[in-house]
Amino acid sequence: MNQITIALPTGRLKEEALSLLTRMPHGSLLQFTSRQLVIEAKDSPWRILLVHPKDSATYVEFGAADLGIVGKDILLERENEIYELADLKIGRCVMVLASLKGVSKENLLERGHIRIATKYPNFTRHYLQESGMSADIIFLYGSVELAPNIGLADAIVDLVSTGKTLRENRLEVIEEIVPISGRLVANRISLKTKAEAIQRFVEGMKGVLQQ
Amino acid sequence: MELVLGMKDIYPKEARLRRHMTESLSRLFEQWGYEPVEPPTMEYAHVLEKIIGEEIKERLYQFVNREGKVVCLRPEFTTSVARMLSRGNPTLFPLRVYYAGRIFRYPSSPFHTESELTQIGVENIGSPSVQGDGEVIALAISSLKRVGVEEFRVDIGHVGIFRHLLTSLPLQEEAKQTVKRLVKQRDFVALQNFWEATNLTHHPVTHIFLRFPFLRGKREVLEEAETLFPHPEWHRTLHYLSELWTKLSDFGYEEYLTINLGLIRDFDYYSGVIWEGFSPHLGYPLLAGGRYDELFQILGKDLPACGFALFLERLVQVLKQPQGNIPEKIHLFYPSKGRREAFQLAEKLREQGYTVVIEEKEQSDFTFSTSKKTIRFFSVETEKIEELLKELRT
Repeated sequence: MNQITIALPTGRLKEEALSLLTRMPHGSLLQFTSRQLVIEAKDSPWRILLVHPKDSATYVEFGAADLGIVGKDILLERENEIYELADLKIGRCVMVLASLKGVSKENLLERGHIRIATKYPNFTRHYLQESGMSADIIFLYGSVELAPNIGLADAIVDLVSTGKTLRENRLEVIEEIVPISGRLVANRISLKTKAEAIQRFVEGMKGVLQQ
Repeated sequence: MELVLGMKDIYPKEARLRRHMTESLSRLFEQWGYEPVEPPTMEYAHVLEKIIGEEIKERLYQFVNREGKVVCLRPEFTTSVARMLSRGNPTLFPLRVYYAGRIFRYPSSPFHTESELTQIGVENIGSPSVQGDGEVIALAISSLKRVGVEEFRVDIGHVGIFRHLLTSLPLQEEAKQTVKRLVKQRDFVALQNFWEATNLTHHPVTHIFLRFPFLRGKREVLEEAETLFPHPEWHRTLHYLSELWTKLSDFGYEEYLTINLGLIRDFDYYSGVIWEGFSPHLGYPLLAGGRYDELFQILGKDLPACGFALFLERLVQVLKQPQGNIPEKIHLFYPSKGRREAFQLAEKLREQGYTVVIEEKEQSDFTFSTSKKTIRFFSVETEKIEELLKELRT
């Protein structure tokens, strides 16, 4: 029972997360081929599950994986009941409120009731409550930057890393809400039943992070 | 024909397993001298509000009743049992009681739906600290053994560990509440960031906080912890845990136990030892409990008390194979003219302990039918029937 199962997100965090893993002790044992979703190796203390980035915290919450790598944006949106153990400092970006160039927060508030497009409706709801803004939330699956341009929404709440997509769509950051990066999370029970293996993993990972 | 969001229908196979577990746990609690109580399903919201934590308050099913008062469905039992026993003049202490029933909470996030859960638990009111804690933790272990959970473990912690650390931090009350919230959310990244923001990274106490998820082990953890933090209250807490450990290992339960100084429970009313039982096959705890002397103080009584609750839905998940004897059914088919004899026969057989289903059929004879065998017969004479039953069993 000392093997630990780790949920690894595909998508924007995958490459950096893999690079961290392979630099860890035992990391070189694993062979990552393109199509496999479960990666195991003889003698490896890990079993890796490749999952959708939005799902890795869910795997961990229900105990299908002991550990997981997940973006803070997903944790804020899903509010999973898990342990957040380490900041992996990968996939860094910022969750922002943005709107068309030249629109300020005051402008938005003057409009009275506004619409905000986002892929993070739950997080946005909390953000609006805390900042005292009143707005309708429009949930979109992607291309959120389009919404203000065609009048679907007054502003967006989304992740920004370089700001290039925003600029190309004539948008501007109004407020930086919270910095985002990849996190190492653990299941509440695994942390007890596989305490030593998890502690070894966390220390190994912290070692790699300090390199 | 829609089902209310968050509610669940339970069909015979699972219902039988749930009943079986509820009955065998109730029997166990009775054998330890605990007596049943049945608090009501609803409480006035203002009664609960004094006691329960913020997180649960937001998850209450509440509404206005005909009196115009806000009532809520019970979100757990301990508060109701305490309210029950703190008013009036309940008999002798220590009082040992148990309960079983549904509780109602809106899910903790919009991505979950489950809102009705079943708790089976005990409260021991009036037993002084180590005495009561030892008994109730032993009973928690006994419960998991009795229902047949394999490879379970119980972690024991103490809310004092966290509280003493928190008081010794050079922070304003508001900042301390932030620390408390972050620890409750188990967000150790945000906690680390908070120490950096408040220039406390090198404070000796903040290191202990960050080690919280890993401060676990057998008795030696207590010795190790003594060197971590020179604080008399902290040492008293460790000493208390050590005394409790001795008691439980004298009971022969050491193999199931782990000291977990970083154990976190969600209810604010816990004031002493806390514990959590779990299995490696499920990502959620199977049972949880603790000492809650402060709860009675809020209710105006000075009574030591502790208890725990098992989560029935989670037990069902770890015990997938059905347990208990499913009684063999005998179907008795009879013609309408034999109705009187058939009914009397069925009643007689039920008195003898058989399960008998009666069905009227358009036929001239009688039929006994089980899953294995079908026998036809023409009259219901006593001797004849006994022979038939014998034949049915072979």
